Amino acid sequence: MSDLKQTLKEQIIEQLNLEDITPADIQDDTPLFGEALGLDSIDALEFIVLLEQNYGIKIADPSEGREIFQSVNSLAAYIEKNK
Amino acid sequence: MEIFITGYGLISSIGIGADETILSLRNEKSGITKGSNDFSSKYLVGEIKFSDNELKERFGIMQNCSRTALLGMIAAKQAFEGHSISEEIKTGLISSTSVGGMDVSEKEFRKYLQDGKQDLSQYKHHSSGVSSEQIAKELGIKGFVNTISTACSSAANALMMGARMIQSGMLDRVVVGGTDALTSFTINGFKSLMIFDEDWCKPFDNSRKGLNLGEGAGFVVLESEKSMQLSKQKAVANLSGWSNASDAFHQTASSPDGQGAQLSMTEALKVAGLTPDDIDYINAHGTATPNNDLSESQAIKSIFKENIPPFSSTKALQVILWLHRVELKLFFRFLQLTMDICIRI
Amino acid sequence: MYYIHTISSISNQDSFRNNDVYSSLRKFDAENDVVAPDYKEFIPRNALRRLSPILRMGLTCAMECQKNTNAEFDSIVVGTALGCLKDTEKFLTNFITSTSDFLSPTAFIQSTHNTIGGQISLGLSNHSYNMTHTQNNLSFEVSLIDAMLCINDGKKNVLVGAAEEKIPFLENLQPNIVADTHPLASGASFFVLTDEKKSIGIKKVDALFNIQSVENEIKRFLATENLTVNDIDLVLTSNNIELSFEKTIHYLQHTGLHYSASAFATHVGHDFLKSNPANNVLVVNHLCNDKLGLILLQKG
Repeated sequence: MSDLKQTLKEQIIEQLNLEDITPADIQDDTPLFGEALGLDSIDALEFIVLLEQNYGIKIADPSEGREIFQSVNSLAAYIEKNK
Repeated sequence: MEIFITGYGLISSIGIGADETILSLRNEKSGITKGSNDFSSKYLVGEIKFSDNELKERFGIMQNCSRTALLGMIAAKQAFEGHSISEEIKTGLISSTSVGGMDVSEKEFRKYLQDGKQDLSQYKHHSSGVSSEQIAKELGIKGFVNTISTACSSAANALMMGARMIQSGMLDRVVVGGTDALTSFTINGFKSLMIFDEDWCKPFDNSRKGLNLGEGAGFVVLESEKSMQLSKQKAVANLSGWSNASDAFHQTASSPDGQGAQLSMTEALKVAGLTPDDIDYINAHGTATPNNDLSESQAIKSIFKENIPPFSSTKALQVILWLHRVELKLFFRFLQLTMDICIRI
Repeated sequence: MYYIHTISSISNQDSFRNNDVYSSLRKFDAENDVVAPDYKEFIPRNALRRLSPILRMGLTCAMECQKNTNAEFDSIVVGTALGCLKDTEKFLTNFITSTSDFLSPTAFIQSTHNTIGGQISLGLSNHSYNMTHTQNNLSFEVSLIDAMLCINDGKKNVLVGAAEEKIPFLENLQPNIVADTHPLASGASFFVLTDEKKSIGIKKVDALFNIQSVENEIKRFLATENLTVNDIDLVLTSNNIELSFEKTIHYLQHTGLHYSASAFATHVGHDFLKSNPANNVLVVNHLCNDKLGLILLQKG
């Protein structure tokens, strides 16, 4: 699980072009759409692409993503459940 | 100074020319069907069911051009019918497009990526400006040519630019409008935004999910009074007010209160010297995305308060991506306001 | 006269935050596309991560112009011939080669020509008139015409500029698009036009199509302002002209080739007037065969 979270952090940084941010800057429970990273609705779409391309998980309705993309913790839990 | 509209032409999935289009609208005949190209066959699209060659033959067009330019030529030629080029009338063309010759570029680029082969000379059609220069050539217009590219508001902005150039005296007569061919680029683009409805789009409906894409072109001829005396054309309408404002909210989303739309409607009414009560009909953008229709409704409410005139989006019948919704509205014979433009008939 | 309040350019030259670009002109540097400032000083990190070079250049020049202008812009007019090529190429490649139903939307969103103007309005929280013109080598000239109409309409601080972005793929296309053989480059130049009197302004702009003779058109253009070739202190030109001017600069030798290089030439012309005993500068843009852009700069 912790490997998955580390990998996720790296994938998020790459997919969203988060320049100057390292995996260490993202805590497992950092709210991804809060002040810290300042992500927006376009990033939510990028998360959907990330999940599909790396984990084969398809989210057809972007509004489903809100809870899944709250933090690295919630993302990892969702991936574990739907793999 | 009054700006007169003395010609109009259009082509879309529901018809070529005004008569066919009005008939389709009256009969609520939709042009949205399964696509007939490789890239569109999986989707419902507002496609014009003629190939480039069929259209070229039917309308006597010899130029080697993109589909975007071709559709523009057909609509602009209709609009300019009865007009002739004259030394005494300073005539220009202001077209608009969002993807320009992408229909050509994407085919070549696909060949390049898949087989490493491509015809480099085809990319000369990519630039949006080239499509406008070719449309001008088709009409015999040798003066000012301009292309506007502001996505969904492109054609409205072309009308506005044309009217301002006539008012300034730089032009006496200007053919204005917009054109876009259906491309794989735009279909994939809107799919990536996840606002692409696999079913028929449902503007202003509670269950709306997103848009359908289409293709088409629409042009009108704008003239000053002096030009009209020389061209001997009759005005079918006036263009009386216009405005362009920026929502400056988000790259892909409209603000919840439709601030940009409010600003532009208020200013367009001011330019026209009208009040909201003077407006009898609104042709809305109504893309059928949850966000747009809500934002647009809020903006209309805030301007028209309790007395909202009838409004509709023609997208459910005839989806013309991005551009030329403004031209269609000419044929409703109402006093009209869109987000950007007032047309008095 | 349409007065110039401030200018900001990012180019192959050392033009950014340089008060006299004319005096520091040097030969084109093939090693560097543009001399870019550190964009992090201008654009918030969160916005910057998505922006391609053309958007970075355009937004930074616009922000620099805003910093030097006391009031908010009441119009934003942008010209670009080929627009956001990097994101266009990226999205094309992405959907052609992808086997997935899900595509990254960012490159598509940022591929349209009006992304430059849109990013400027977002970056400055500016709700005013926002227009994008794309007319091959005359994109800057038609944008200037629009900006001048804005001033005529009563606007007071009009941001107008042009930007182009080079991608390696463009080198394959160059012989098919334009006859010129200068090395390709990128660049952006933005101006604030104002109704307030300043020392230098734009007197007249023409965007001409289907021309027969460049020389005749230049003479006709100058005659409408009661000027002759002899009155021009400096001509900045894209091509050779068969007229004898006092002083000539071939601006593509400094900018490299891009469709909106005449915007940079206008910047140079402005700085020349500022620092020299001269009154008239002419920018001649004849990059495409029968199209001609003419810009006359004067001391106010």
